[in-house]
Amino acid sequence: DSTVGSSSDCKACPCPAGATCAVVPKTNEVVCTNCPTGTTGKRCELCDDGFFGDPLGEKGPVRACRACSCNNNIDPNAVGNCNRESGECLKCIYNTAGVFCDRCKQGFYGDARAANVADKCKPCKCSPYGTVDRQTACSQVTGQCPCLPHVINRDCGACELGFYNLQSGKGCERCNCNPIGSTN
Amino acid sequence: RPTPNPNISPLPPGSHILFTQSGKIEYIPLDGHNLKKNEAKTALHLPEKVVIGIAYDCVEKMIYWTDISTPAISRANLQGGEPVQLIKSDIGSPEGIAIDHLGRNMFWTDSMKDRIEVSSLDGTQRRVLVNTDLVNPRAILTDSTNGYIFWADWNRESPKIEMAYMDGTNRRVLAKDDLSLPNGLTYDPQTSLLCWADAGTHKVECMNPQQGRRTQLMEEIQYPFGLTTDGKNFYYTDWTRVSVVVVDRHLRREVDEFQPQKRTRLYGITTAHARCPAGQNYCSSN
Repeated sequence: DSTVGSSSDCKACPCPAGATCAVVPKTNEVVCTNCPTGTTGKRCELCDDGFFGDPLGEKGPVRACRACSCNNNIDPNAVGNCNRESGECLKCIYNTAGVFCDRCKQGFYGDARAANVADKCKPCKCSPYGTVDRQTACSQVTGQCPCLPHVINRDCGACELGFYNLQSGKGCERCNCNPIGSTN
Repeated sequence: RPTPNPNISPLPPGSHILFTQSGKIEYIPLDGHNLKKNEAKTALHLPEKVVIGIAYDCVEKMIYWTDISTPAISRANLQGGEPVQLIKSDIGSPEGIAIDHLGRNMFWTDSMKDRIEVSSLDGTQRRVLVNTDLVNPRAILTDSTNGYIFWADWNRESPKIEMAYMDGTNRRVLAKDDLSLPNGLTYDPQTSLLCWADAGTHKVECMNPQQGRRTQLMEEIQYPFGLTTDGKNFYYTDWTRVSVVVVDRHLRREVDEFQPQKRTRLYGITTAHARCPAGQNYCSSN
């Protein structure tokens, strides 16, 4: 209150350097109005959308606001890409998942951190006949689907040599060819 | 008796442009179709929130907004009243919001749940209207008189602009070719023109939803997010310019720009008309 007439009438804004502030009428609550780029909140204690950190160190060491770090697996046109405090990625794309969009989501495999989108996460496409319990998930790294007995290949789509009847859904059966009458 | 929230500076009489930045909702009074830029003020401080979409109910003079940080949908009376959270469960990333001032319903898009929902203005009678073929639904708006909703989905693989009845039926695609990131959408009931601002093609285009012919209004714009119209001008928020840009519909060129003091991204924008447009629809009669 600059009208009182004492030397301590005006106090410095409780805001980071350069930020202006305003007194909310009636409550006399002070709100920073011009927080440094990337920060927001009553005291500039929060990061803006698209950034994460703890700029005033309210919950631990000071962490300046940085752009969401999601292995290039977020879209810059999206809003709310990461949690403004922890940085947990919330809108992973290209079939990725995980705290930093660093792995493939269920049903996909490959390298979520690959530079090329085509090399990122590919669908498992497990064979419904050759996969245990008709599962659609595979190893997120190798892409290997869990195969029934005597079933082979990454997608469990073929029988071992000397076995047949993938379609049974119970694994492949031994051919039982007569060794005398067969060519191999 | 609830005490008036001191964070709220009442909207003066007249029409206004309302837009959101992450921790607040700002207004710029309109003098006819001109922005009274030196009278721009903060309508509502919400320092902990990331406010995206905004809509205005001309009947009760309330503003409605979506907030992706809580996440929630809230409203407040700008003549003095507490913000009230209306929707706070089963909500992911609410973005666009639109009011049917005749039927007294609100519609919103959720870009995480990938659906379009409706509820009464108090948050009750909630229902999912569309939950298929949505990837990045953002802008939504209503044609109250004819009972339509329009929305845009900026899905990079196949962006589109769609419409449906207010009950979700009769859904159809209005535009899908030569679109990239249609972030902003607006509808002018006077001219029946649906217009969108695209951050990928850098154009503003319009079409009459019943006739389907597209016309280009602007090109080489920078990075639009929200779009609104007062009938004569278009107003869009721009992420690159960090400003509200005013485009004259007939001159087809930029006529003004407002740069808020706070230099962070601007999101939703809407026109708060002093008076409601006259009209009636089937939801208001039943």
